[in-house]
Amino acid sequence: LAALDELELSLLLPASDGGDGYGQIQPMLPGLSAKLMWTSEEASCPLDMSGRSPFQIIVEVDEKPGTLMTDCLAIKNFLRKVIIVHPKIGFHFNVKVNGTLSTETFRVENEPIFNLPNGMALIVNDQLYVSRPEFGPTGFLGSRIHPVPGEPVTLSIPDDVADLSLLGELILTPVAALCPCPKAFSKQTKRISSLSIFLYGPSGLPLILPSQQQPATVFTDISCFIDWKKYHLYVASNLDFNLDRDTVLPDMSYQVESLERHLSQNTDPQGQTLLLFLFVDFHSGFPVQHMELWGAHTFLTAHLSAILRESHVVRDSVQMAVDQALEQHHQAAKAHQKLQAAHAVAVESILNVVIGSTSNSFRKMCLQALQAADTRELGTKLQRAFNELTQHRFLHPCSCEVKQLPPEESAVAQSREDTLGSRSPECLADPAPERRGMQKPKLVCNLSLNLRALELPDEKDNGGQGEIKRRRRCVEETQAAQGSSGRKAGAEQRREPPLDSANPGSGQEDALWLQEVANLSEWLSAGP
Amino acid sequence: MAFAPMGPEASFFEVLEQHRASLLAALRTGREESPRGGTRSISNSEVLASIENIIQDIITSLARNEAPVFTIENRSRWENMKFEDSVGLQMVSHCTTRKVKSDSPKSAQNFALILKILSMIYKLVQSDTYATKRDIYYTDCQLFGNQTVVDNIINDISCMLKVPRRSLHILSTSKGLIAGNLSYLEEDGTRVSCAGCSTAVAVPSNIQGLRNLITDAKFLLIVEKDATFQRLLDDNFCSKMSPCIMVTGKGVPDLNTRLFVKKLWELFHIPLFTLVDADPHGIEIMCIYKYGSMSMSFEAHNLTVPAIRWLGLLPSDIKRLNIPKNTLIPLTNRDQMKLDSILKRPYVAGQPFWRKEMEIMADTKMKAEIQALTYIASDYLSRVYLPNKLKFGGWI
Repeated sequence: LAALDELELSLLLPASDGGDGYGQIQPMLPGLSAKLMWTSEEASCPLDMSGRSPFQIIVEVDEKPGTLMTDCLAIKNFLRKVIIVHPKIGFHFNVKVNGTLSTETFRVENEPIFNLPNGMALIVNDQLYVSRPEFGPTGFLGSRIHPVPGEPVTLSIPDDVADLSLLGELILTPVAALCPCPKAFSKQTKRISSLSIFLYGPSGLPLILPSQQQPATVFTDISCFIDWKKYHLYVASNLDFNLDRDTVLPDMSYQVESLERHLSQNTDPQGQTLLLFLFVDFHSGFPVQHMELWGAHTFLTAHLSAILRESHVVRDSVQMAVDQALEQHHQAAKAHQKLQAAHAVAVESILNVVIGSTSNSFRKMCLQALQAADTRELGTKLQRAFNELTQHRFLHPCSCEVKQLPPEESAVAQSREDTLGSRSPECLADPAPERRGMQKPKLVCNLSLNLRALELPDEKDNGGQGEIKRRRRCVEETQAAQGSSGRKAGAEQRREPPLDSANPGSGQEDALWLQEVANLSEWLSAGP
Repeated sequence: MAFAPMGPEASFFEVLEQHRASLLAALRTGREESPRGGTRSISNSEVLASIENIIQDIITSLARNEAPVFTIENRSRWENMKFEDSVGLQMVSHCTTRKVKSDSPKSAQNFALILKILSMIYKLVQSDTYATKRDIYYTDCQLFGNQTVVDNIINDISCMLKVPRRSLHILSTSKGLIAGNLSYLEEDGTRVSCAGCSTAVAVPSNIQGLRNLITDAKFLLIVEKDATFQRLLDDNFCSKMSPCIMVTGKGVPDLNTRLFVKKLWELFHIPLFTLVDADPHGIEIMCIYKYGSMSMSFEAHNLTVPAIRWLGLLPSDIKRLNIPKNTLIPLTNRDQMKLDSILKRPYVAGQPFWRKEMEIMADTKMKAEIQALTYIASDYLSRVYLPNKLKFGGWI
């Protein structure tokens, strides 16, 4: 039995931002059946000690367990999508069912980020994108992804969808990355098994296209902007959207197979995932108003597919990012193969000496050291020992390792405080009330979504929306100085210095990573 | 010697004899002391034990979950070299090292190849058989990639184990040639005479196995280039200057040629002279015979012969003999760099006459090949230049 007492979705914003920008959260969650009613609590909830300013949205939901659970999951996925590009924003998500309060916190702290050329930041902890169970008990996660941005391009808007009220330009910045990192995953690097696409609209707000179960046309045939054939890959849409997950839910998901494997129908689920983030930002020659941003957001939600299909520059830019990301994969795979080959030679050579030796003490010592009964077992154990070394090395590369935070500070810190029992939101799926023929009262519940800006020592506006505004302002100032917009504005934007001071050395780490890839290329091309 | 062609009169060798006497005197006082005590010749069982120790260390590391590493001395860095008049270039006792890691994509291949060659050496030593570096390369060309990889690894192993290459049962195909007043018995009992024939004899591949070396030679002439060596043979230089020995390493000398020259010096203590092009490359080759090379500095005691003297072609000879400018070649940038590098080497400080010659070359910015002497006369080298230099002590 699930009796929904209260469902709070409170949204905390920096006081300086007023929070009006999030008043139209409903259009961003087209799959959400609940009705969101924006009620700022700014007046009633003064700034707390940390400078957080709470805002609350009253949400009218259907207490039907299945629907309610789906809505909760949709909101949670939305929150995850927000925090991976807005590392300074946090959320508290409270649900009270049958007197049981379940609280989840969505925020990132001390996570390495990658500063994108469009001024956004992207959390690079791979655990946000791929769940650990997929990689077995030993796991290969705990590394960072290495995003490769493509060239920002101005999107052409087809005449048939042109919106005259949209006075500005839409600039697409694609970013590709392999997850897990090719080096971290190198021990088992064999292939890329899936593609996940994440869409973001202006100001890095998630762009969720309608009818998620039926991907838009341009995403039906993804080959229209990525040439898979050159990689001998075959890509098929994956319609199995499981909302209930701890990782960020992609907007589109695809299965990737090599052409040979596709023909042989032999699938191996454990491969790498190619992450493709498509950021579409809106720029006009003047300071952009909130209403314009929402207009652009709504416009993109409706017409993104048609816009992306229109322009060949989109394909070039996306392909460039994907090519570079796959090159990393290719290099890492080659490095791994070489390492494996080298270790095979080493094992064989060691065995030759041990087998050929006439010294009993030497042979005995060798066997004892690795606790092998005979030379055959010694060979197996030597190979295993070298493999473990390889794994150790690839799991702890200087530029890939992500500092593991204590659970309470983990990437998506989900502190569930089950009070008055142990019921969690999952219990909402309990179909018992319906089976028992209970009346299904329609309730108006408080859904409180806490969107909060995390404190930053060097910024007085306390991050979050202020940061978005600041970035926007920066771009606007650049545009105003140039007296032009569009592609040129995009290019200037790329030269904008990284803004995020919360980044624990990601620029340096990425430089190291690129250097390692370069070294790898050099080494691989040098031959034996 | 059973066969001794008529050479110049005894008086011709007076200056040479004086030079030899001074060399012997220097040997006695220790100045030209024959370098000894470097890498010792070790027994097969010692080599096997050394390799087993290495394997044991690797397995122990793996058992501890640590990546095995080879620590190899940097053979090609000047900071790891020291110079001694009596030895030449040799490695300092505490030189810098480099690590060949088994878990690094950059060095894992090299780590494996070292192990591969170590296991091959183990088999060779165990079965008391020998193989050339080329044989080793051809056991798996694809794995080794090229011959240089094998050569370098063998030198690294020799340096790491402090064992001469010969003791590793690895031979290198000799490219050097010998001619003149010399006979010896090879390891298999074959008697070889280098005299009395117009063709040269190849430097044997097993220098350590040579026995009963016999010569009456008054001097040994090391010729840089095979072409010059052949020309001198054609001109019957060995007969005209009898008794003498000529050796060529055909450019940069291989290990056997250097070992052979060293052996002749140690056995007979006869004056040794070099005939090289008057260019930085020729000087470099001469320095390798005399002072050794950086890459083989760990075996300097077995290879260097500090008693070697520079007979020709001296840069000062170009002006002295009025060799026309059109037979000279301008120094290239690479030549200039090489010359500068030689001038900075520690042994040049003790060779003021060499420095002077090199400065002449640097000033004129010109170099000359030995063949430039043919401008004067086709047999000028064998008939005039060398005899005069030898008779009147024209070496430095």
